[in-house]
Amino acid sequence: MATLRAHGIEAPLPGGFEGRIFMRSSIGEEAPFPVAQFATFALPEEVGDFGGGAVTLMGADDIFTTLFEYGPESLGTRLFARQGFPRSLSPDNFLPYVLRRGLGGQSGTQWFFTEAGRPFTLYVVLGSHARRRSLVPRVNGLLANLAISPSPEPSLPSGARWN
Amino acid sequence: MIALAIVLSIVVLLLSVLVAGLLRSHADILKALHDLGAGVGEPTGSDPHNQSSARAAGPQGPISVPLTMGPPLPGERSSISAPTIAGVTPSGDALAVAPSGSDQLTLLAFLSSGCASCAGFWKDFHRPDELGLPPRTRLVVVTKGPEMEIPGEVTAQAPPGLPVVMSTEAWGDYEVPGSPFFVLVDGNSGRRIGEGVANQFSQVAELVRRAQVDAGEFAEGSRGQPHAEGLDGPERELANDRELTAAGILPGDPSLYPSSLADVCPPDVGDPHPNRTPIGMAN
Repeated sequence: MATLRAHGIEAPLPGGFEGRIFMRSSIGEEAPFPVAQFATFALPEEVGDFGGGAVTLMGADDIFTTLFEYGPESLGTRLFARQGFPRSLSPDNFLPYVLRRGLGGQSGTQWFFTEAGRPFTLYVVLGSHARRRSLVPRVNGLLANLAISPSPEPSLPSGARWN
Repeated sequence: MIALAIVLSIVVLLLSVLVAGLLRSHADILKALHDLGAGVGEPTGSDPHNQSSARAAGPQGPISVPLTMGPPLPGERSSISAPTIAGVTPSGDALAVAPSGSDQLTLLAFLSSGCASCAGFWKDFHRPDELGLPPRTRLVVVTKGPEMEIPGEVTAQAPPGLPVVMSTEAWGDYEVPGSPFFVLVDGNSGRRIGEGVANQFSQVAELVRRAQVDAGEFAEGSRGQPHAEGLDGPERELANDRELTAAGILPGDPSLYPSSLADVCPPDVGDPHPNRTPIGMAN
């Protein structure tokens, strides 16, 4: 099983998944934080943090997942009150209107949580809401082995940043 | 006369012994070459260039043979699988490419930053429009890992926008004999369908075209839908951010974090499923 490791995130990839863990270049006073993206299709070189440029390429049996870290100022806020990574999702968690970009037939779910002292959001898109019962086990196969370790380096000062 | 006949017989006998010795020596040499995998004297009688047909035949019977170019590959290579390539980028991020499971071809270019014969390929990759690769072909460069390559050197060679994975393990998985080396993977079957060495990228593009013709149906993909209209990718997300900022909705605005569906759809609009799980907080 191929394994991705970078920026304190470790992701053993189930068969058929590819992915990347990266940090964007800092622009101005923005402080970039790690983003991990996983997909069952060929990810284009330029993909928005939440799948812009990729979700439009999805087939009905495809999955796109992004794990996005927020700055330390988010720690302790109500939004990130959930402790721990959602390891197992159910088909009922996916709704056609929980999509950053509403595309016909697709379905999504988004979770905010804190793991290892780091605030994250997990966003998952399924290529077909109708096929969510067969796709969600594959998502869970990915999530089951994801590991997040405490921030590998001191937090950088951060300004307001959109995601 | 009798003496001459005896002498001639002895000479013939000696020559026969000499010829027999030479034949045995030749047989020993052939056997040694065969044991070294040089393919000479193959018991099956197959052409050295077609050794891959023998090695491709698995327990389920014959499998189509990868196209090869350049010199024959070492005989001990025995796999046509196309595992996921996981490694790091020259900038230190993590990257994994899965050539299998898509409906496109993936061309893996195993290159080194320092090899002279790779320089032309690195240069060619700066002009992607002139590579001559058929549509639905994804090009990925694979170098050895940071323990054997200098990431800065790879960065200097790699064109922007081209995925580069640094992974020594991938070189082992794909049995790469040296650089430059190219492997073509059919995403549908998840198998290598072509591999070999080339001096110019036009030779590689020709290999891809031949493989595409053999594979048949890549021209019309079935997975991707042309959803995209207008902006897409990071530009779209950035434009959204600007619109929100212009509307006075800044990061942290409560409207961005609805805790229930009622926050998104006012009650008078009517929610057909009022008891649905709150967004982002579902179990």
